[in-house]
Amino acid sequence: MAEHVLRLHGVGVEYRTPAGVVTAVSEVSLDVPAHGITVLAGPSGSGKSTLLRVLSLVERPTRGGVELRGTGTARLSSGARRALRRTEIALVFQNPADNLVAHLTVGDNLRAAAQAAGRTTTPDELLDQLGLPGTAAWKVNALSGGQQQRLAFGCALARGASVVLADEPTSQLDSRSADLVLETLADLARRAVPVVVASHDPRLIALADTRYDLRNGALAA
Amino acid sequence: MQIPWRAAPRAALSSPLTLLVSLVTALLLSFVVAAAVLHSGASGSAAIAYHADRLCAESLRPNLESKIRHAQVLSALDDLKSTLGDQPMLPAFYTAEARTDFGGRPTYAKFGYRPGATDHLKVLEGGGKDGLWVPKSIAVTTDLQLGKRGMGGVLPPVTAVYEDVRDPLDPWWCSERQYVVPNPISARLDSVTAVVWMPTAESFAALPPAVTAQASVTVRFPGPVPQTVDEADALVSAGTARLEKYRAQGVRVNSPLTLPVDNARETVGNVRSAILPLALISLLIGLAGVATVTAQWAQRRHAELWLLWVRGSGPAALGGRALLELGLPLVAGGALGLVAARLLLPVYAPSTALPPGSAGNAVLAVLVVVALSLVIVWSTTALRAHRAFQKAATGSRARRVLTALPWELVTAGLAVWSWFRVRDSGFSATTQIGGLPRIDAAALAFPLLVVLTAALLAARLARWALKASHRAALWRRPAAQLAIRRLAAAAGPVTGVLLVGVLAIGTIAVGSGIAGSQQTALADKSGIYTGAESTVRLVDKVELPPELRGNSTVVGMAQVEENIALVVDPDTFNDGAYGEDIDRALLAQPLRIGDAPRGEVSMPGLPRFDPRAHLPSFPKLGTAGWVVPIDQVPDEDGVGSWYVWSAKPLGELTTALAAHDIRYRNSIERTKAVSGLPFLTIQWTFGFVTAVGVVLAVVAAIALLLAIEVRRRQNAVSGAFSTRMGLRPAALLSSHLLELGALAVAAVVVGLAASTAGSRIAVPRLDPAPRLAPGTEVPNMAPLFTATVVGSALVVLVAAWIAVRAVRTARIGELIRG
Repeated sequence: MAEHVLRLHGVGVEYRTPAGVVTAVSEVSLDVPAHGITVLAGPSGSGKSTLLRVLSLVERPTRGGVELRGTGTARLSSGARRALRRTEIALVFQNPADNLVAHLTVGDNLRAAAQAAGRTTTPDELLDQLGLPGTAAWKVNALSGGQQQRLAFGCALARGASVVLADEPTSQLDSRSADLVLETLADLARRAVPVVVASHDPRLIALADTRYDLRNGALAA
Repeated sequence: MQIPWRAAPRAALSSPLTLLVSLVTALLLSFVVAAAVLHSGASGSAAIAYHADRLCAESLRPNLESKIRHAQVLSALDDLKSTLGDQPMLPAFYTAEARTDFGGRPTYAKFGYRPGATDHLKVLEGGGKDGLWVPKSIAVTTDLQLGKRGMGGVLPPVTAVYEDVRDPLDPWWCSERQYVVPNPISARLDSVTAVVWMPTAESFAALPPAVTAQASVTVRFPGPVPQTVDEADALVSAGTARLEKYRAQGVRVNSPLTLPVDNARETVGNVRSAILPLALISLLIGLAGVATVTAQWAQRRHAELWLLWVRGSGPAALGGRALLELGLPLVAGGALGLVAARLLLPVYAPSTALPPGSAGNAVLAVLVVVALSLVIVWSTTALRAHRAFQKAATGSRARRVLTALPWELVTAGLAVWSWFRVRDSGFSATTQIGGLPRIDAAALAFPLLVVLTAALLAARLARWALKASHRAALWRRPAAQLAIRRLAAAAGPVTGVLLVGVLAIGTIAVGSGIAGSQQTALADKSGIYTGAESTVRLVDKVELPPELRGNSTVVGMAQVEENIALVVDPDTFNDGAYGEDIDRALLAQPLRIGDAPRGEVSMPGLPRFDPRAHLPSFPKLGTAGWVVPIDQVPDEDGVGSWYVWSAKPLGELTTALAAHDIRYRNSIERTKAVSGLPFLTIQWTFGFVTAVGVVLAVVAAIALLLAIEVRRRQNAVSGAFSTRMGLRPAALLSSHLLELGALAVAAVVVGLAASTAGSRIAVPRLDPAPRLAPGTEVPNMAPLFTATVVGSALVVLVAAWIAVRAVRTARIGELIRG
């Protein structure tokens, strides 16, 4: 197993806007260890989410490269990047509802997530582990925000991804729901699933095994 | 298949509105396409029905007419039976006119035999079927009694006196008109030449040589009237093949349906090519509607699509996801549209008889359209996913280019080109004798292109105006200011609704205007051509019988080459003549009509007259001729010919004349005087244009109501905010009325103006018979305009009510949701 699941080399991201070119991330190089929780910390607008999209192979950087398990991705086609996303990467969004298919049941959401990665899963077992027993037949909107976010991490587990990336997973939750998410993240770390989290939540930052601070799109010294 | 795709069809139920809109869009789209196919097919059937109505039912199939020696009658009959087998056949034999002696005063008569003839005659006296049937005209002339045997006892006894056959003929006699209708002014003015019917073929064959030099033979083939072009064509082909033996022998074979079949095929081609541009425009609008519905769906399902994308699904798979959710309503809508097009055929098509294959073609067209819709759904989603998720979001270049292209200049150019075709269109030039005038589909497209150009121009000007509307500061009138801002915020849907609205209103007005102009022109031209609803030429000038007083008039005609003068009775002329009443004072003096030369006129049988008064047109004369009041004609017998012009149908006119033994000939009915197929072709074409306009109007109304419903939350938030800032509910309502009313007024004004301009320019040129007065004119459109305004106002009221209701019924959670 590689020592690092993800590596960034001099990554820069720029956007063309009517007002000119905006630099979102500049010259970021970092390594994501193959175990534990890595936190990208920083205030709003510091480039955390952009960096997370680059790490999850959703967005191509303007400059620099991304290595996944030691393989460069810069020259990969869109199809090849999608194939990697299918099997290797799970991304959890800030808004709990965005992580789930609204018209599917809880169990079907887990099955759908597993299917996308070419796997199968046993929803009841997974839901027990997530502390959501007996909810397999529920519609997702019957769950609270925190439960939905836990289910989102459950989907990531069901996918058997090499790395789980989460963008501000607690920012839209009340403190009790946020606690549930923190527990889930700690649980993932215990299962040796590498987790990368972008957040400015101090409680989440406190869980970090590895921490990178971002300021204005660059790593803070 | 993965779960999100497998569950997609059921997911459609989570948004009934999207489901409904997809279904209705596909329904309207497939209705228009299927209706176009069925309509053009039905127009051929209508053309056949029109011709069949003007021809005689029993002579529609190829039939025989010949002359044979009288001695050959029986052998000819046997030969026909053996050659044609079981084919239903109706032969008839007639002798030439010959002096005949029934014991009383000698007369001239024709003898005839036609199986079943006595079943189709009105018996006045007697009725035995084993003797001669003599017409009343001969019976009266010769003072004939039942039981008498003519020709010195050689003829069978007279067993019945029947009423003379006269126009309009019973269908059974129609094909035999030239033989059976008495000719009151044949060479023997004191007699008539009606037919004396023999009881059997054998008795006909046994007629004495004194009355039988040659026999005229007609062989008709009764059968069902063909309903479609293909049926008519098959009849012609089969009949021609069957009679080939006789043709080879030099017998005349009539095939009255040959030209109608050609005409009907030409009609189908004309109608199809004329409605094609509009059908294509409607198809494009419909497919744009499908793309819009898909884009709205993709916006609503953005989170799910993004999730699936992040999990590794590509644009094609996401397109498939859209297809699985929207496909079923589109397919169902397509099927419903097809069913609606078939069921509503009697409403929009000129005939309900469809040629074989029409329904299949309509199904095929709908399948293609549904397939295109599905491709649009798939590609729209795939492209949006590609643009939004895979490619850096820089906006759609294709969309910018499409928006920037001056489409209105393109359509205006086409309209100019089409105008040249209208100007030079050879409506009056027939391709063959009895054939249809050339109808130029490109010329017919002119008024539609004018409307389309106006619609595109209005949409572009509206877009520019809305873009610049931020400069408008009408805060002293908050209702107006809010209305402008709302319009500007929804510039895309607003211009879309305006475009479809103008197109719908313009299309309805153009369609109704031109179809109405053709209908009126056919009626008026026929009326001017015949002079009255029905006319007959009198053998002698007589007084009108009591039944015809108040509804008919007697008109004399003096003619030298193409110069015609009518002699009219000012007191009764308006009773019988076609058209609007002419001032009696004008009729009481000599009139110069239209382009007739000024000055003193000399016509045979009339005194010299110098017309000072002038009328632009006159029944029968059209736009050239003279009119003289009867009291200025000293010698009525000197006038060339006299006619009865009646406002009554021909049957009533001839019955009344016959009841008083008034002899006449040359009966004409207005409805059959002018071949109306060219008029009808244009009428059918623009009738379909009107139907498509109605569909577009429904689209525009639904689009407007949906646009309001889709932005329900924005309306609720802004409305609630405005009312809390002090805007009165009435002002809120007036604001929405202003917003929607402005849109509706723009659509109505531009649509009606463009259609009026296009129609007024085109209609005078779209005259299939320009040599017949009067010219084609746009009919009174005021009722349509009123209906359009009222309909638009209703839509605006409903839409404004929906918008205001959104504010009143908004839930708190809806207002504060982020």
